[in-house]
Amino acid sequence: MEITQRAVKDATVLDVKGDLTYSNRAAFKTAVEQVKNRNCLHLIVNLEQVRFLDSSGLGLLVLMSQSFKLQNAKFSLLKPQSYVREIMSLANLPKMIPIYETEGDALTARAA
Amino acid sequence: MNLDSTQHIARSFDSSAPSCFMVATILLVEDEPVTRTSMAARLKRLGHRVLEAENGQTALEVARRERPDLIIVDWMMPEMDGPTFCETVRRDPAMKSIYILLMTSHDQPAQIAEGLARGADDFLSKAASKQEITARVLAGLRTSRLVRELETTGAQLESSMLLLQTRQAEMEADLQSAAAFVHSLLPPPGIPAPGLALAWEYQPALTLGGDLFGVAPIDADHLGLYILDASGHGVAAALRSASLMTFLRVENMLELIGSYDPAKVLFEANRRFPLSEEGEYFTLWVGQLHVPTGSLSYASAGHHGVLLSPAERPSQWLTRPSSPLGFDQAAVFASDRILLQPADRLFLLSDGIYEASSPTGEPWGRWRFQQAIETQKRSLLATTISHCFTEARRWQEQTDFLDDAAVVGLELTV
Repeated sequence: MEITQRAVKDATVLDVKGDLTYSNRAAFKTAVEQVKNRNCLHLIVNLEQVRFLDSSGLGLLVLMSQSFKLQNAKFSLLKPQSYVREIMSLANLPKMIPIYETEGDALTARAA
Repeated sequence: MNLDSTQHIARSFDSSAPSCFMVATILLVEDEPVTRTSMAARLKRLGHRVLEAENGQTALEVARRERPDLIIVDWMMPEMDGPTFCETVRRDPAMKSIYILLMTSHDQPAQIAEGLARGADDFLSKAASKQEITARVLAGLRTSRLVRELETTGAQLESSMLLLQTRQAEMEADLQSAAAFVHSLLPPPGIPAPGLALAWEYQPALTLGGDLFGVAPIDADHLGLYILDASGHGVAAALRSASLMTFLRVENMLELIGSYDPAKVLFEANRRFPLSEEGEYFTLWVGQLHVPTGSLSYASAGHHGVLLSPAERPSQWLTRPSSPLGFDQAAVFASDRILLQPADRLFLLSDGIYEASSPTGEPWGRWRFQQAIETQKRSLLATTISHCFTEARRWQEQTDFLDDAAVVGLELTV
């Protein structure tokens, strides 16, 4: 798994590449917490290049979104692939974490 | 000049590493008294303890008793010569690593080769200068010390390994006993209530599994059933599962919420089992069957492994999108109701069975599981379940499952 971090207007984007699974959970958690500890107001996790998400990965997304909420910050997901999207839908994730199709949408939603 | 150099070497040995300097024990084996006495004196001047032996046999006894750091042995001796002495030492496990300097008055290459081949570590010419003798002895002692250190480290490693193996065996035994306990909580196959048959197969990935299930009577007419799946792996997941299993016991639910209403059970479990600090959680499916009428109410918290297989109609999955436990503290779980007919079957399965992957990484899938069930409608319930395991194993081309694999079957027999 590769995680790249970049700053965009009013937010930080993590571009994740590879599988978000049990074996990669530590790397993902560390990357998100680094952003969180800098008091970022909005983290957008770009899932465009994530092929597979297992139950641990799913739990981690929820855990991270809960910790951002506690900090009054926003946590969004961007462009999940169809398989990942299906897993998230079965677990009702879209009701808890906003999912956007474009970075622009994610940023506008923040402004709104 | 010569004397100065010798002293310099001796001093450097002393002073370069004062904290490491140890008086070494050197065994000198020489039948000729004058040579022996003069060599012994030189070695003593270097600060070492010198043991003397006048023949090979005595030397072996001394070496066994004293384990010297270095042996200097003359080549030419009556009865046992130097090379034979070397061979004898090398064959003895307690002495084989002692450093041996072979003393000789010749230094023909062929002779040197023979001495090395027969177990000597280095040579010392009887004609060698004091400096050379000192230097070779010091070099030999350095090597000897390294070998001893290696031997000690090796012995420590071996004893650590033994200790680890013992601990491992103790842990295995603990896990086995925990597994036996959890296993005793699983519902016994057979007839859980009149008019019902229960069969299951369960192969945990570890000794102690994280996917568990229960089937138990609530009252004279109702049966409670559930299957839970812990995310994550290992003993921690298994322990968390055992605690949820205890929570889901019928008596506990009746005391807490006064019923086994699936939606209420999930609501309560969701409140009490938040996400762990590592983001681990459970998915859970709970059902309540009114046995006389076959009316099944059920609700799911992110668990998608329950299949209804009616005798005369196509099978269907009993699920809908829902939050796993701990995802959303405010979650409300919807329950559904369905009517089971005589000979209908209900299968509760863990994802370990349908996520069994082929060598190319393709999961067996819920669809193939469903097909396996469809083709086995006329078989005995236990045979049908067994068939699913056979097919999944055939698909993954191995016997053991990477994740807990469980299939629980319930059949209305009247």
